Order: sequence, then C-alpha cells, then structure tokens
Amino acid sequence: MLKQLVRLLRRNQKSKDVAKSRLQLILVQDRIGIDEQLMQALQTDMTALLSRYFELEQDGIEMEMQREGQSMALVANIPVSSLKIRRPLQA
Amino acid sequence: MGKVIVVTSGKGGVGKSTSTANLGTALALLNQRVVVVDADIGLRNLDVIMGLESRVVYTSMDVIEGTCDLDKALVKDRRTKDLHLLAASQKNNKNDIQPEQMKKICLELKEEYDYVLVDSPAGIEQGFRNAAAGADVAIIVTTPEVASVRDADRIIGLLMNMEIDDMGLIINRLAPKMVESGDMMNPDDIIDILSINFIGVVPEDKEIVISTNRGLPTTYNHQSSAGQAYRRIARRIDGEDIPIPEFKPGSWLGNLFKFNSFK
Repeated sequence: MLKQLVRLLRRNQKSKDVAKSRLQLILVQDRIGIDEQLMQALQTDMTALLSRYFELEQDGIEMEMQREGQSMALVANIPVSSLKIRRPLQA
Repeated sequence: MGKVIVVTSGKGGVGKSTSTANLGTALALLNQRVVVVDADIGLRNLDVIMGLESRVVYTSMDVIEGTCDLDKALVKDRRTKDLHLLAASQKNNKNDIQPEQMKKICLELKEEYDYVLVDSPAGIEQGFRNAAAGADVAIIVTTPEVASVRDADRIIGLLMNMEIDDMGLIINRLAPKMVESGDMMNPDDIIDILSINFIGVVPEDKEIVISTNRGLPTTYNHQSSAGQAYRRIARRIDGEDIPIPEFKPGSWLGNLFKFNSFK
C-alpha cells in the first residue's frame, strides 16, 4: 500500500525535478573524482598517523570513496593487529 | 588588444558552432572587429554555418606550416564589416596541432581584432585543449538536458585547472512550453547546479535550421527569437549592462509564429 503510494507520488513528480536531483547526485561523484595518486598519498598519510597508535596490517588496508545516499563518504578498512602504546602520546 | 573567447561544451551537438557563428556575427554588427576561428580540425563546420565554405582557400594549418600569412588565411565575410573566418583544415586531425601553436595564432589575432571567437570541438581531449589554449574567456554552451549539463560541469572543472576563470554560461535550445509544463529544467535549475556566471538563454527556434540551410546566421533575422537572443548576449559580452529577459514562455512562443523576414 505504502509502496504503491510512493510509486504514484514519484510518477507525479515533474520530470525536470527528477533530472535536477539526478544531476546533483551525478555531479557530487564526478566532481569528487579523486585520482589514484591523491588517494595513495592520503593512504600513506593516514597509515603513518595511525601507526603511531596501532600496529597495522599493511596488506589489508583498503580505502575508497563510496556513495552514501545523497553524499559521498570516504570508507577505510584498516586492520589492526595490536595497540602500540598504553597511554596517549605527548605532542 | 582584443579578447580571445573559446566557445565550448564538452558534449557534441549542443550548438557550439551555431553559437560561435551567431555571436561572432552579432558582435561584428555592433561594429566590433571580429574573427571566428574553427578549431575543429578534421571536422570543420563553422565555414558552412557562416555560409563561407566556397571562399575558404587557406586554413590555420597553412598558417602553422608557414605556407600562408595569417592575414591572407582569413576569409572576409562580405555581408558584415570586419567579420572574418579562420577555417580549420579538413585533411588533418586534432593531434596535428599543439596548444602552443594555437595560442600563438590567437595572440596574433587579438592584436588586430576586438574579439577572437574560437569554436571548440566536442570532447575533453587535445582538440579542446588546443581551442582553449589562448583563451582569456570561455563561453560554455549547454542544453537543458542531464547529459549536456553534466559535461558542462566537467568542462568548467577543466577550464578552472587551465586558469581560465572568466566563464559565461549560455543555455541553448530551451523549449518554453516544456519548461512551463515542468518537463524541462529552467535556467534557474541549471545555474543552481553549475553555479557559474550566466550570460543568456537561447530558445529553441526552427529558424536555426532554416538559416543554417541558407548559410546565413540567424542573428541577421530580426524576427527570430534565437537571433534576438544571440544579439542580446553579444551586447552583454561587449560589456553592456542589459538585463537577461525574464523567462516568459508566451512571448517567445509568439515569436516563433511570426512571419520571418531577413533584413
């Protein structure tokens, strides 16, 4: 019932509004277009920072941009084998 | 010292060459000294749209190869004072020219002329880079369609990287009836998305097809709604502070049905 209602409403939405919202989403992705080199540099910096606190499994590190609803998210999967330090570092 | 303006879009078929021909003509009619340059090497069209194809002898390639002086390569448009065309070579391809060579031609032309309008090929590769190489200003042409606006956004990004920050957007082929019924994005929607300086709307107009058939830019036709729009945009490019007319479907539609007479 609700699904049907949503479908009905969507069909009634003006096609120009559909175009606009599709474009907005497409352009978020297009504009972000982070290249491989930049992604690599970011990964190097982030692992360097995290390495001060954790023992990392370098081979398992994955980082990528993902679409999350209306926005983009940086999703990182960084496997940790152990904690390096017991108390916070003095800056 | 004149200005070099690249007319570009990313996507093909949105009206770059038509816009270049019409704006070039309109600027010349404002008593400006104008050269329109076809940068679409291998797929030249601007000569045909301008109706000058039978008079092209030399091309920008001949100038680059040193076979011919730049002045001699320009085709003079006899219908309007101070309007010239520099045609593209049909035998070569886009990689036969380097951005530096194109830039040199543009720099030389703007010493002599007020406006140098460069018609860019579609795409984002070398052809586009050559066309934009010597540009001070960019005019981005888009139609109110998803694919075209997306490509325009991409081109805007590339132009920014090339440090061509002075940009103006033309929305071409707007169909007033469809905008009215909510089936076409209106100028506000598109400006909202692209967020760049907006310089005008050209309504969909059958006169464009007819005038291209004849090789006579629509700008000459005072009854044509597209011609009127191009003349207004030219005045805006030339620094006149004239308002962009409010979007009124009725008035443009009315224009479409008026009897057309060439002046």
